[in-house]
Amino acid sequence: MILICGSLADGVTELVCSRLQGCGYPYRLLDLARFPEDYRVSWHWTEGGPEGWIATADWRLDLDAISGVYARFLGPEDRPQPPGLEPADAAALRAEGDSSLTALLEDLECPVVNRIGGGLSNNSKPYQTLLINRAGLSVPPTLVTNDPAAARAFHAEHGEVIYKSASGVRSIVRRVGPDQFARLELLRDGPAQFQAFVPGHNVRVHTVGERVFATRIESEAVDYRYAHLEGLTARLEPVALPPALEAACLGLAHAFDLLFAGIDLKETPEGEFFCFEVNPCPGFLYYERQTGQPISTALAELLHGSARQPPRAAILHPGSAHPDLS
Amino acid sequence: MNLLLGHPEDPCCAGVRARLEDHGLPVRIVAAPLAPPAKFTWRLNASGLASSLYPDTPDTEINGVLVRDTGWLEPDGWDAADHAYMQAELRAVTLAWLAGLACPVINRPDAALWYRPDASLLSWRRLLRRCGLPLPEVVVTSDPAEARAFRHRLAKGGVPGAVYTPLTGPPAGYLLADNEAWERLAKLQVRAPVCLTEPHGAAALACIVGNAVIWDRAPPPEAVALEPALLRFTTAAHLSFVEIALAPVRRGLAVVLVNTLPRLEHFALPARDGIFDALVTLLTAENAAVAPAAAVLS
Repeated sequence: MILICGSLADGVTELVCSRLQGCGYPYRLLDLARFPEDYRVSWHWTEGGPEGWIATADWRLDLDAISGVYARFLGPEDRPQPPGLEPADAAALRAEGDSSLTALLEDLECPVVNRIGGGLSNNSKPYQTLLINRAGLSVPPTLVTNDPAAARAFHAEHGEVIYKSASGVRSIVRRVGPDQFARLELLRDGPAQFQAFVPGHNVRVHTVGERVFATRIESEAVDYRYAHLEGLTARLEPVALPPALEAACLGLAHAFDLLFAGIDLKETPEGEFFCFEVNPCPGFLYYERQTGQPISTALAELLHGSARQPPRAAILHPGSAHPDLS
Repeated sequence: MNLLLGHPEDPCCAGVRARLEDHGLPVRIVAAPLAPPAKFTWRLNASGLASSLYPDTPDTEINGVLVRDTGWLEPDGWDAADHAYMQAELRAVTLAWLAGLACPVINRPDAALWYRPDASLLSWRRLLRRCGLPLPEVVVTSDPAEARAFRHRLAKGGVPGAVYTPLTGPPAGYLLADNEAWERLAKLQVRAPVCLTEPHGAAALACIVGNAVIWDRAPPPEAVALEPALLRFTTAAHLSFVEIALAPVRRGLAVVLVNTLPRLEHFALPARDGIFDALVTLLTAENAAVAPAAAVLS
């Protein structure tokens, strides 16, 4: 039995559920919009891993019957307020419920897509860029600074520069133009992240266990996800990666302990690839619908246990080069 | 220069600063590392990483960093949403900066540690178990019948009550000693699962600094026997500074606390002295001042 932790109001979770149904793989949905208040759980740790069950009024699932877990957590805006509680109390109880669930997922032996630890690297883009670089993939020249002069020098050096948030908040990529140039003095209030613009096509790589699905995106937009906001379009098509790059993407996902990852690459006109980001909770719906790539089927097979899966990794750590200290 | 990211009133920052000054070593305590006078630049390109926090001190002249806080932006003057955004930005940048420093960083954070500094014992459980450390029995349940069964199982073993441990917020435990407390717990369980742990006896407190296990007071022999497992854990967790409590439960000694931001006020003066000395040794370790190598999996 597969456990899905998410909400059917989310298109990605809905696609995963419908694919499982289509494949004939049984699953239970733990609806995070109604968790924890509408569920009963009992998880017990003695000397080994967890034992116990999850139940609703309609079903009960023993932990040892779970072959795989897919978790896609919701933002507070997607979780209705339980009746009879102050918002702060509701938030505190939800946080307790989520913490208990993530602790359980951390300790289950079956495949979990994804455990939370590795995915937290995505909260710091420059941190993740550093680890990607150390893993052997090329990354674009990057500057993080609160010094307007340094930003100007970087712009002068690279000509075309983009900026984006350093955290996972408000993460939209934009080009540095005259308007932004005029506001560089505001950097003194807080640093921003700049990257040399890399020309070429975006390539989104989804790794699912040991499988790789690469999609080339042709768009004039700086951030193709928001092409429509600029009145532009994006054309997507499946593409084969060089074997070494495919292996590097799998290695990167493995190093971040991500059984399912969305890796953002760009291929220059010269055929060089740069890596921008590893997304631990990829919204792959867009890519699958546009290209017909069987990403959700691969995910279903991974969760069912019918696909080969990599052994669980220790997470890439920045201090691995300092074994005596870190 | 040595940097202590934290607050002057933190006994750990204060003690380490005093020790470093005794050695004639320059030291600075900084609560908000990216605030002025910092003029921060962090450049990553094909030639590698170069960063600079202060205009007067290149990062290559920072000898060591002790991390006691992830930094805080005062909310005065900020719209709430903008403040949350800027706080997230500053934390993201500080993490990247610490991850890239070539000098010793205690504890050099990974994203999981940085964004979950108050991780509960439950979240450390898998790694502790794999390192051979015993743990207390735990039940997480929203079912009052399961909570009652746990209570009866403990009672049969001669243990009255259980400890309710919230999984969020600062470490805390509440002993459920009477029926009234269990009834209140049952009401809470209607809303959310609760984490119950078997009660433990008096704890032996250890602070692990690098490869040194410093006990607060003379530990029992069975605690000393666990020192190799404790060091396996800190190595596996990439922690060079951690507070751990071991205490007797029904099946023997077990780990009942892991704190990655050790509270020095928990330790008696002789132990504190040992901790400060060990921290200063780590911060000034010459062999650690090497540039980060290429990717190595932890």
